Amino acid sequence: MIESIILSGTAMGCIYALIAVTYNVMFSASRVFSFTAGTLGMLGGVLGALFIARMGMPVALGFIVVLAGGAALGLVTEIVAVRPVLKSLDQHLYVLSTLALALMVQQFTAIEWSTEPQPFPRLFGLARVDFDQQFWLPMLACAVVIVGLELLYRHTLIGHAFLAIAEDNYAARALGLPERGLRMTSYALAGVIGALAGFAGGEMMLAFFANAPLLTFYGFVPVSLGGMGNNRGAVVAGLLLGLFQQTANFLVGGIFASVAVFAVFIIVLLARPDGLVGAAQQRRV
Amino acid sequence: MDTQATPEATELRAVRTTGQGTPGALGAVLPFLVLLAVGVAFPLFGGGYWGVIATRACVYWVLVSGLNLVVGFAGQIAIGWVALLTLGAYATSVLAAGNVMPALPPYLALVCAALVGAVFGLIVGLPALRLRTFYFAITTLGFATIVTQVALAWQSVTGGGIGVPGPVFPEPFASQWGFYYFCLGLAAVCTWMTANIAASRFGRALTAIRDAEVAAEASGIAKPALLAIVFLFSGAVAAVAGGLFAALQSYITPDAFTFDLSVLFFIAILIGGRSSVLGPLLGTILLTVLPEFAAPLVAWSTFLYAALLLVIVLAIPGGIAELLDFRNRRPLESGRAIVPQPRLVARLLDAAPATGALTLDQLGLSFGGVRAIDGLDLEIRPGQVHGLIGPNGSGKTTTLNVISGYYAPQRGAVRLEGAALPPLARHLRAHMRIARTFQTPRIVGSASVLQNVMIGGTIHGHGTFVESLLSLPRHWRDEAMLRETAMLALAAVGLERLAPVRADRLQHAELRFIEIARALMLRPAFLLLDEPAAGLSAEEIVRLSTLLLAIARAGVGVLLVEHHPDLIFDICHHVTVLNLGRKLAAGTPAEIRSHREVVNAYLGG
Amino acid sequence: MPISAADPLLDVAGLSSGYGKIRVLFGVDLKVGPGEVVALLGPNGAGKTTLLRAVSGLLPWSGSVRFGGCDLTGFGPRDTVKRGIAHVVEGHRVFTQLSVLDNLLLAAYGLARVERAARVEEVLELFPEIAAKRRERAAWLSGGQQQILAVAQGLVRRPRLLMLDEPSAGLSPVLVDRVLVVVQRLREAGTAVLLVEQLIEKALAIADRVYALTRGSIVLDAETSEADLPHRLEQAYMARSGRQG
Repeated sequence: MIESIILSGTAMGCIYALIAVTYNVMFSASRVFSFTAGTLGMLGGVLGALFIARMGMPVALGFIVVLAGGAALGLVTEIVAVRPVLKSLDQHLYVLSTLALALMVQQFTAIEWSTEPQPFPRLFGLARVDFDQQFWLPMLACAVVIVGLELLYRHTLIGHAFLAIAEDNYAARALGLPERGLRMTSYALAGVIGALAGFAGGEMMLAFFANAPLLTFYGFVPVSLGGMGNNRGAVVAGLLLGLFQQTANFLVGGIFASVAVFAVFIIVLLARPDGLVGAAQQRRV
Repeated sequence: MDTQATPEATELRAVRTTGQGTPGALGAVLPFLVLLAVGVAFPLFGGGYWGVIATRACVYWVLVSGLNLVVGFAGQIAIGWVALLTLGAYATSVLAAGNVMPALPPYLALVCAALVGAVFGLIVGLPALRLRTFYFAITTLGFATIVTQVALAWQSVTGGGIGVPGPVFPEPFASQWGFYYFCLGLAAVCTWMTANIAASRFGRALTAIRDAEVAAEASGIAKPALLAIVFLFSGAVAAVAGGLFAALQSYITPDAFTFDLSVLFFIAILIGGRSSVLGPLLGTILLTVLPEFAAPLVAWSTFLYAALLLVIVLAIPGGIAELLDFRNRRPLESGRAIVPQPRLVARLLDAAPATGALTLDQLGLSFGGVRAIDGLDLEIRPGQVHGLIGPNGSGKTTTLNVISGYYAPQRGAVRLEGAALPPLARHLRAHMRIARTFQTPRIVGSASVLQNVMIGGTIHGHGTFVESLLSLPRHWRDEAMLRETAMLALAAVGLERLAPVRADRLQHAELRFIEIARALMLRPAFLLLDEPAAGLSAEEIVRLSTLLLAIARAGVGVLLVEHHPDLIFDICHHVTVLNLGRKLAAGTPAEIRSHREVVNAYLGG
Repeated sequence: MPISAADPLLDVAGLSSGYGKIRVLFGVDLKVGPGEVVALLGPNGAGKTTLLRAVSGLLPWSGSVRFGGCDLTGFGPRDTVKRGIAHVVEGHRVFTQLSVLDNLLLAAYGLARVERAARVEEVLELFPEIAAKRRERAAWLSGGQQQILAVAQGLVRRPRLLMLDEPSAGLSPVLVDRVLVVVQRLREAGTAVLLVEQLIEKALAIADRVYALTRGSIVLDAETSEADLPHRLEQAYMARSGRQG
């Protein structure tokens, strides 16, 4: 039993961590949080089921198309919901515009795909074992993304450019960095990460439109606890969240597990509004 | 063009733009009366099915009217308010059905539900005081999910997935149209109450918190207390709506309270426009009725709401209210001049001046390793203008911020007539008659100039929130007093002609003078000004000088943080020069001007 | 350091700019000739930083700005950088999470990899004090070294015009001189420099020409060789404004 809790807790934790990273990548590029992060996760599962199970695409091809779909939604978020409101004086319009976009996508999915959860295809035709692919796929995805992002930020010029824009937007612009292009790329990247999270977690979460609000909330918890823009904090917090949730699930049952998570979340936030770890490196003012 | 205005003429003009019974007031009430008339007459031309829709619109509006104060006026992004509808529905139904205790009469159940709603409204809303916008929005979402899940799980009380029957109200409200009139009546009452709040100092204070929080603090508005009241009211009203909803549905299950409903409420307010009651009312009617016109639309309703929200946010952030604001489409006269009237300044500031000075006593403050203020002594005497100058980074604005309570001094103290001021109590400064203006004008753009200035006098009102809610006499006395004082303040600074204009249509210089008018509403003993001349033309600086001298002559102690030599050397009685947080020199303007070191520091040598 | 030929003439006429409703510059005229060092002086709030931001495209403006014969209307900072204007902003802002080398490489974003590396090496030769720390994170440099790094960033693309916004702010006198030596060298190599400075004497010592800006208008335009300049500057700063709104 403990084994099952650890496996499912870690796997779900990795999914939450990836959605948190999605939020963070968008935030680093624009200083704004987007409601579409959870929706991207949902689409990863739904599109995966659509292309592979229903349309019969080979797994590898379906995978690529799903990631492309995530990138597309990421780009749409930037162009339609974020860029127009960044210039406005009202700081909080982005909350509404990204919420509106996320709702539109969710509702469209509910109507066109299904209002009931649909099965997600088994990606590798292996027999079910204890340490099953539905558990290690999300873990693998999380590890790949974390390592990949580290490499990107540390060793590539474009990764450095992302860090520059996040740390000091003004200086980066003055230096001539292509701020808009970099922001769009960041959002596309975030889209890929979100879709990957949903795809890897598809078997665990099923292809269900209501995963969107679920992931919107649970994916945000690691962001707020781990510190805005702080990916490492997000992963740690995500794993802890996943384990806590599965443990509570086992001990007190599903409904009260949610209440427990929510209560802890609120209490921690009220005590430390900047998260347990604190925000990522900010420019000293 | 200069116009000489006698006090009598000003007062006449003031009366014409204010007061009840004028065309302005009737115009504001008319749309509501029309809607009420349509509502009352509705059963004559609407069938049974449309009766249900109309009742539903009334029930939704009961909730939205309260939520409007939270989202529209206070600007809090509370997306998950359906939680309170759920709570109210279940509370009413359970109490009326007698699952937990002996059955209560439905009206009493409704009242109890309102109390439950008030408490939970407070619980859901209070995190707003501590959390960033997006975080708060997410927590309300989480709360909504929790409530639904609890309803599902707590089978013994709520019937779990099976649900409970809703309350049944006795005759004459048991029939469909009877119940419709009951809901219409409650909706009308809620409209009236929230409109009263909107036009009260509380409504204005909410918009100040939303759009100009620092200015709200400087005017003495205590955010926690005000938001707490609003959340209590909003929660109570939402719970009542829940009870009505349960009665309308006649049977409720957890899945009646979908996230879609929360979205509808929230979007209705934003489509309607913030700081408006009519806008969200029309928005609610629109969103309830729209999907009913075509069957396919019902399934797509949330998609449509979201699309509508996106369009509004991108194209018309002001919503329906902005579309209906015809008055503010009229062009303003160009070449407007700001002509302060010193005689009116004296009339406005007729309160007793302070007996002692506002002093800085060896003030010290460091940020990290940097000494922003290093052992500063300064005295602001009533009736005098004290200039504080120095190069960038010398600590001028920091000093002002310490006096107004943004930073606590690490050494020394700020003393008012000898007693040290409480260090970080920003919003108490107004009560001590210390007023200030800001480097960048902090104004509520969507409110009128008059409303902006009235915000300055918020703490001088005596009526409570409930008195304003119910339009009791003290509320009217407060309004009349604030309006009169604000018009006098506007006339004193020379902007009374612009009183009804939306503040965001004004020029930068005018906004600066409005800030001063707002500060004067406090009838302050001390006035702190943060670079008031920035962005002003030479002509406007001369007017500003006239105004500030008049204010000083009325007994106010003025601290003027500035760069402009004109202003400093013309009107200051004393000048203190700061450099790197330390006092470099102090004396009369003539002394300072010839002081070698000062010239160097100021020019940057 | 080899500098590309072409004529780097900056010609600003009737420039107006500001922040939203707040107008800061009112019809400014200013010129910088090829290889000239021009100092822009003025009290706080006069609009010096605003002027630099308008020229480099960080702020919207109206009027006329021509650079090397090219009209800069509608140019954003990316375009002006490509044209040959480098704007080193106020406050020695470098990217603290990145190494000195990476900071410089970012300045060359958009150039081919080989060219990037070559330009960065060129610049590091000019600044031995930061070359020694090339692999260190910028966060660990002193304020003065960060300022030098910021100037170095501006030079990576071999600009025809370098605009420096208060490079001496927050620096000790020794480091200030160090920065100004660099400006001297640039002039010798043919790069034009537009220098906004608070330290009047130092600026006058190094500049060919000087403008004084107060309250959004130019009040003085003189060669630094002219007599009685410090006094005239003082008068200009403290003078009563006669400008119409």
